[in-house]
Amino acid sequence: MIGKRGGLLVFLYMVFLVVLFLMCSTDLIIREPEKKVYQISVIVEDDRDDNYSNFKKGMEQAAVELHADVRFITLYERLDAGQQMELLNREEQDGADILIVAPVSGERVADALSSRQVSVPVVLLGTEIREEKAAGMVTVDEWKMGEQLAGQMLQKMPPDCPVLVLAESGGPGAENGDFLKGAMGVLRNGGHRCRTAVPDKESGCAALLEEYSREHVFVLAGSADILTQVAEALADDSSQAVHAGGLYGRGSTLSILNALDQGWITGICVADEFSRGYFSVQRAVQFLEGDDGGPVVLDSYYIEKEDLRKPEYEKILFPIE
Amino acid sequence: MTGKRITGLLLTMCMLLNACGGTGREEPKTSIRIGISLYRGDDTFINNIRSILEEKAKEYEQENGIKVTLDIQDAKGSQNTQNNQVERFISLGCDVLCINPVDRMDASVMIDRAMNAQVPVVFFNRQPVEEDMNRWDQLYYIGVDAKETAMLQGQMVVDLYREQPSAVDRNGDGVVSYVLLEGESSHQDSLIRTEWSIRTLKDGGVPVEKITGGIANWERSQASALMEQWLGSYPDTIELVVSNNDDMALGALDALERAGVTGVNVVGIDGTTPGIEALESGKLLGTVSSNKEIYGSAVMGLAVSKALGEAEPEEYPLSNGHYYWTPQEILIRPMEE
Repeated sequence: MIGKRGGLLVFLYMVFLVVLFLMCSTDLIIREPEKKVYQISVIVEDDRDDNYSNFKKGMEQAAVELHADVRFITLYERLDAGQQMELLNREEQDGADILIVAPVSGERVADALSSRQVSVPVVLLGTEIREEKAAGMVTVDEWKMGEQLAGQMLQKMPPDCPVLVLAESGGPGAENGDFLKGAMGVLRNGGHRCRTAVPDKESGCAALLEEYSREHVFVLAGSADILTQVAEALADDSSQAVHAGGLYGRGSTLSILNALDQGWITGICVADEFSRGYFSVQRAVQFLEGDDGGPVVLDSYYIEKEDLRKPEYEKILFPIE
Repeated sequence: MTGKRITGLLLTMCMLLNACGGTGREEPKTSIRIGISLYRGDDTFINNIRSILEEKAKEYEQENGIKVTLDIQDAKGSQNTQNNQVERFISLGCDVLCINPVDRMDASVMIDRAMNAQVPVVFFNRQPVEEDMNRWDQLYYIGVDAKETAMLQGQMVVDLYREQPSAVDRNGDGVVSYVLLEGESSHQDSLIRTEWSIRTLKDGGVPVEKITGGIANWERSQASALMEQWLGSYPDTIELVVSNNDDMALGALDALERAGVTGVNVVGIDGTTPGIEALESGKLLGTVSSNKEIYGSAVMGLAVSKALGEAEPEEYPLSNGHYYWTPQEILIRPMEE
């Protein structure tokens, strides 16, 4: 038999258990660390995401692992610097915690950061401007990449063979970009003439190739887009291929890799785009959590057809999420 | 008396509260987020649709000043992955989902999640079963009428045969010997396309005889391998290749090219970019093309309306409150005189 006192003890014990249960279930004792989901907007210089497919895989992987909500935004018009600045402001107003930007114009983004036109932190991708106000930088040494590619071209080119350099009218693949400057420096030192041309938006690369079809030239494309266009032009009219001694460039889109595999492209320089995407989100989250690390500089690799299926390159070119 | 007063007071308070609630207008949305999951990102037709969706989203954004964020994910042929993607879309606060289901028979998990979160779903390309579609009035399907597609595919061969029999019956033996490349057996369109395409040929008076057929799962490489095998087994016999889609038709063309065989007519369905290129270069006899502009616009138009909480757009009239069928057309290579 439980006495009056015993009953009271049992009652108090029950009350204690209920209070304990309530405290546990309402996080009063064991508090789960609240993980903030960071809003990250990635704004690139392109109007399509074809050149960013591996980048996006890395970006999405990091977003899941680091609890980030990442929005990938392309421009309405490729390489429109003004539009990119508008999007930067729009994303800031829409509450992005941090922006990751592949600038059309590194200078304009740098100015906007210096003048506090953009007040959210910005991680820069592959810009040639070393902006101290940036929250981080994930880049490839473009100059070195150009030199690396040109070095490989020199080994294949006959002496005095001219090089047709196809550049963009603006953006990272432009004539004044580090990639082409680095490459042309090596080619000129090797005794080769470099003729620069900017493909017309309307007629594209085919018209330019036609113009140079009487000469035996090596072709160097300044951007992934131009490289794709030239490869397509060569595939469409293989007679031109006789005159193009070799086609070189940068980029690792599926169409570029197919063209390399089919022999229309001789060699490419690529960066590990998956890592670039992953590190850019990681760098952004680290910055928001107070870790102000230095720039991430990725290596570049020279690849020919034979290298496509080598395991070390396969995981860079065809990453699995 | 006191009771009546209290009741009256309570009623007045309720009315006042109700009135206050009624005057508070919802802020119009300035930004919407759409989660898109594709059954397989490497499918050419789906890729075409994906590009159009991106294009239409940008157009809408520019025209209306409403920011449209698209979260596009590739389910890589795994329904489990797609279910997780749907869950993630919902937790990210997507206003509407556009789903190209991996397994059309297994859409119920996704529908449950969407219904719980009250997020409308626009399915496309692979039609969920009717019982699933009828579970909620915020479920939609946009696609093509598979029977119409198949009949158009058959009709293009019928028309050619009537006009120029020797262009179809290449060896002139009075019989058109054909092989059949089928898509996934679980896809609703695969069976319907096969059945109605052949039935239209027969009803149209083309004396067809099936040599063989096989399932190539919509894939170019699988179709190419099958065709290579058939060319070895039935040399100089095949006159017509009827394919459930363009990718498989292109696979058959690859095999024909490798074997150096000419004069075999190949017909596809979808009107994909590579398919149309093959048509223009004279390799493919014809294809049935859904109007992809309208297809993409319908998916995006419906998705945006639902994301904004508006009624279904009038330009895409729905049948049974759930379905919109995209118009289609025959694309055929011009015949040599």
